[in-house]
Formats: sequence, structure tokens, C-alpha cells
Amino acid sequence: MNKTHVEQKKGAAAAPLLVQMGIYTTILFVSNLISGLFPKSFPVPAPVIGMILLYVLLSAHLLKLEWVDSLGAFLISIIGFLFVPSGISLTASLDVMRTAGLQLILVIICSTIILLVVTAYTTRTFIWLRKAHLEKHKFVHQPLAIKHRIHVKGEE
Amino acid sequence: MSLLTTPFFGICLSLLVYLCGQWLFKKSHGLFIFQPLFVAMVLGITLLVLLAKFFQQNVTQFYTQAYKPGGDLVFWFLNPATIAFAIPLYKRNDVIKKYWKEILAGLLVGTTLSLFAIVLISKLLGLSQTGIASMLPQAATTAIALPISSAIGGNSAITAMACILNAVIIYALGDWLVRFFHLNSDPIGTGLGLGTSGHTIGSAFALKLGSVQGSMAAIAVVVIGVVVDAVVPLVSRLLF
Repeated sequence: MNKTHVEQKKGAAAAPLLVQMGIYTTILFVSNLISGLFPKSFPVPAPVIGMILLYVLLSAHLLKLEWVDSLGAFLISIIGFLFVPSGISLTASLDVMRTAGLQLILVIICSTIILLVVTAYTTRTFIWLRKAHLEKHKFVHQPLAIKHRIHVKGEE
Repeated sequence: MSLLTTPFFGICLSLLVYLCGQWLFKKSHGLFIFQPLFVAMVLGITLLVLLAKFFQQNVTQFYTQAYKPGGDLVFWFLNPATIAFAIPLYKRNDVIKKYWKEILAGLLVGTTLSLFAIVLISKLLGLSQTGIASMLPQAATTAIALPISSAIGGNSAITAMACILNAVIIYALGDWLVRFFHLNSDPIGTGLGLGTSGHTIGSAFALKLGSVQGSMAAIAVVVIGVVVDAVVPLVSRLLF
């Protein structure tokens, strides 16, 4: 797909690293406060609120892209490493794995694939429905287009 | 032993095993079994188990005392990293504005269908009721999934394991899965699927495929959190 207007605006100098860190930590602090307002039965974690907050601030042009872009890109690029402690934390649940390990791991592998494929294909279906719907409307308003198509098909 | 209880040990271990993984991944020309995160996880756990044996300590206790202080410090940086996904999201505002209805519908319907498929698979493989309840909230990130899991009668340790393994599986096998299921012809669906199944790590993987995939995965992480909050307790009430 085409690059958007946002990506074409490159060239503006990135904000100093400490300023970028300041923005990220401030957003985290505020979203942590907001996160505490949600009831226990409906948890919304601070990083998710923070993501929405940063998105809103960028969309409202209160924050400029170059104030957060380079640190964000760096953090995303090392995310595999940042996840290592979570992976290693499974050490603490080795006992659970020993009792029902194989079964659980099989279900988890299947679930991951199910979530990936079902979500992807459900969305694809909805997008296909939208396109089908649009085409239908196009044909109602432009009967000539149909004629043209049939004609071309006939010639094949 | 007391030398190991400073945070330095955990930070150092995390970094070294990950670098080992990166090196192996490069040497093997990208063989999926040597995916850095996977190698780091297996190597790290093995090392901790061996060290615990060496110091004649309980493995869980050794993990909590020696590794966790440093591990938590590294883990903390996942917070700003998650926030950073707002940037790819903002960069593809055009896609969101055009397709927001399809995105929301796809996520809501897709997750609900997946939940029933997961229950079916769990029952086929003979999981206990606690096991099934622990499997349901795994589409959300850990911070959402764990409390929901305990609320519907699951074991939050198993749910945490599921959430973590989801991410590791997507990061290691993502390339293969996307090709095998012919997903990439539709970047929007692919991105949403990767975000739902692989959480933040899945989003990082999706971003490697393209900007649309990355932004869609980031949306999925946010929306799925809310969907799991709302739908999983309902589904569990239907089932149990």
C-alpha cells in the first residue's frame, strides 16, 4: 500500500533521548493512575491505556511524531529480548508442567494457531463482504459497467 | 549464593542467553528452532535448574531469589515498549479510518469463535475443567488474562504459561504459519490474527511483515483486552 502523509514527513530531527524517555514515563505514570480506576473484575493494564493515550496525543497533534519515534522504534526492535524474563519465569511453573505438561502444551499450541487463523479469516470474510456490498452498489448506479464487463467476458 | 541475589545476575543472564540465541540463529541461517527468544528461554531455564541443583535449593525458590530481581528490571521495559506500538498505529491511521468496522467485527467474532474452538480442543485432549478455564483468557495480555482466569475458576499459573508460550510460538513459527495458512494476501486479517495470538511480541513480528500488519496487531492487543474482559466471563458461565 502507499506510504501515508505521516511517513513522508521524514527529516525532522528526533527529540533528545532524555526528552523521549520523559514522555514515555509520564504517559506510563498517568496511565497507571487511570488503570487503578477500573474495577478488579474488568482489569485494563497500564501499558494498554498508555498505548491509547499516546495514540490520542499523536492524533490530536499534541505530540509530534519525532518526539517519540526513535525511542519507540528502538524499544520495539529489542522486544524479543525484553520478553526473555517472561519466558524464563516459566521456571516457577515447572511443577505444573511436570504433572500435565504435554497435554497443556499441545492445547496451547493448538489455541495459538486457532486464534491466529480464525481471527485472520473472520476479518478477511468481513472485508470481503464489504467489498461485495460496494460492488453491488456500484453496479446499481452504473449499469453500463456491467454491460461492459459482460461484453469483455463474451469476447474471451 | 549471596553473590547471585543482586539484580545484576538476572540482567546479565537474560542478555547472555539472548545473545547466544541470536548467534545460533545467525549460524544456522535462521532455523526456527534456534529463534533467539526460544533459545534464551530454554537455555535460561536449564541454567537456573542446574544452578539450583548445584546450590541444593528448590528451583522455584532459587528462581525467585536469584533471577527475578534482575528479570523484573528487564521485564519493566515491556511497559514503554507496549506503549510504543501507538506509533505504527498512528502511522497507518488511513487503514483504521477506512476499515474500523471490519476490524472490530473481525476481532469480536473471531475471538468468540476461537474461544469455542479452544474449549472443543481442550475437551478432546481431556483437559480438566480448571485447565479449560485457564485456557480461555489467553488471547489477552497477561495483566488482563491472569485476574480473569482466577475469576472464572482457572489456574493463573497455567494461564501465564499459555500467554507466554503464545508469544514464543508466534515469534518462532510465525513465518511458517503465515505461509502455511496463506494469510499474507490480506494484511489486515494477518495483523489482527498475529496481535490476538501473539500479543505484544506478535505485534513486533507483524511489524516486520509490513506497516499495515503491525498497526493492525497493535489494535488487536488493545481491543482483545476489552473483548476478553467482557466475553470470557460470559462464555465460561455458559459452559460451566
